[in-house]
Amino acid sequence: MNRRDQILEEIKLVPSLPASATEAVSIVRDPNASLTELEAIIECDAGLATNILRLANSAYFGGRGSISTVKDATVRLGTKRIVQLVLTTAVAPRIKPPLAGYDMPSGALLAHSVAAAVGAEQLAQELRLAAPDYTYTAGLLHDIGKIVLGTYLNVEAKPILDLAFGEGVSFEEAERQVLGIDHAEVGAELLTWWRLPDDVVRVVRYHHDPYAIADGDGDGIVTDLVHVGDHIGRLCGTALGADGVNYSVSPRSVERLALTPEITESVVGKVLGTLAELGEFFLQTESV
Amino acid sequence: MKVSSKPEDIIVTYSLGSCVGITIYDPEIRVGGMAHCMLPISRLDPQKAKENPIMFTDTGVPALIQAVLNLGGSRRRLVAKVAGGASPLNDNGMFKIGERNYTVVRKVLWKNDILIASEEVGGTAARTLYLFLDTGRTVIRSGGVEREL
Repeated sequence: MNRRDQILEEIKLVPSLPASATEAVSIVRDPNASLTELEAIIECDAGLATNILRLANSAYFGGRGSISTVKDATVRLGTKRIVQLVLTTAVAPRIKPPLAGYDMPSGALLAHSVAAAVGAEQLAQELRLAAPDYTYTAGLLHDIGKIVLGTYLNVEAKPILDLAFGEGVSFEEAERQVLGIDHAEVGAELLTWWRLPDDVVRVVRYHHDPYAIADGDGDGIVTDLVHVGDHIGRLCGTALGADGVNYSVSPRSVERLALTPEITESVVGKVLGTLAELGEFFLQTESV
Repeated sequence: MKVSSKPEDIIVTYSLGSCVGITIYDPEIRVGGMAHCMLPISRLDPQKAKENPIMFTDTGVPALIQAVLNLGGSRRRLVAKVAGGASPLNDNGMFKIGERNYTVVRKVLWKNDILIASEEVGGTAARTLYLFLDTGRTVIRSGGVEREL
């Protein structure tokens, strides 16, 4: 079995997301489903309900400390937002551990993922674009493939780093050349395995390659937002990995979004405020 | 930002990308500190700059200098080092935050009559920066390799 097939097999060993998360995602897409069903799913899981209330009460998600029940939360924030919070809660423990291959400490991928999700949404707001509601979800999950690929990267770190930093090859291209697959494709395959919706999977698959999406394609806008959100996320001071900022900015996304340096900088500022609220800190003192 | 006068302390900021890490150290009385600044100019959000001046390079660097002076450091002995300021590949100026962060650091230090003793900026790699308070030695770890700055 070659390395690529080996990695694709490995994806099937990753435990599925909690049922509450996949059920919530399918309920919000079912026009016949009711709010009560969604509330019931959340209330069945005390840990989930607590986390939902905590996130719902943050300034970013709009509650500002005034939401005390799951019902309140669904009414005030709307079902789409609630499903995003359910998914954030379900995914967070998966992307929080350290990633050896990418040289990322505990919490680093989670912080970057949240920064990219918030970055994609804030960017849409800044550009006055109506972003589909799965923009946040796709942003949050864009790098999920790293939790599988990290193990392989650990073994092949040197050739990948040599290509990326010695020859100026973008990091995902270096992954493809050495491992036969990159973290974007691994992520898309993992999310398919987890039965997440196709539109989210597509954005994750092409987040480093927005050229793959045709102009006028409805998903294109989300791919562009997440592509730029990912870059913005890397500018927000959360711990970066061995890949650093060694990724290309797609001229296609820049053009389609009519991006300017002023816009990116302004969005970075806004994302930083949100991350501060979500409890980021960068400096630590250690004693010898 | 952290400052310290304890020789056993090591101040570290992890994996700087476009952000800049600045260390300021007084070798004679062995006090120093480090700031991790993310955005070049505080004009972007004066309210936030007031709450957290370190977020912006133009307000963060003066705050760091002042904090080291408050520990008894002497302006004429201060040694400054800089790391970070990376930019993505082919960014065509869309993400020139790293480059501008570095420009602002230079400007603020120059205004304060402090020379940069050494620096490692630009490129696409992430850098972790350490300051050892016992000697003022600074180390960069990048791509699993450590080197003196």
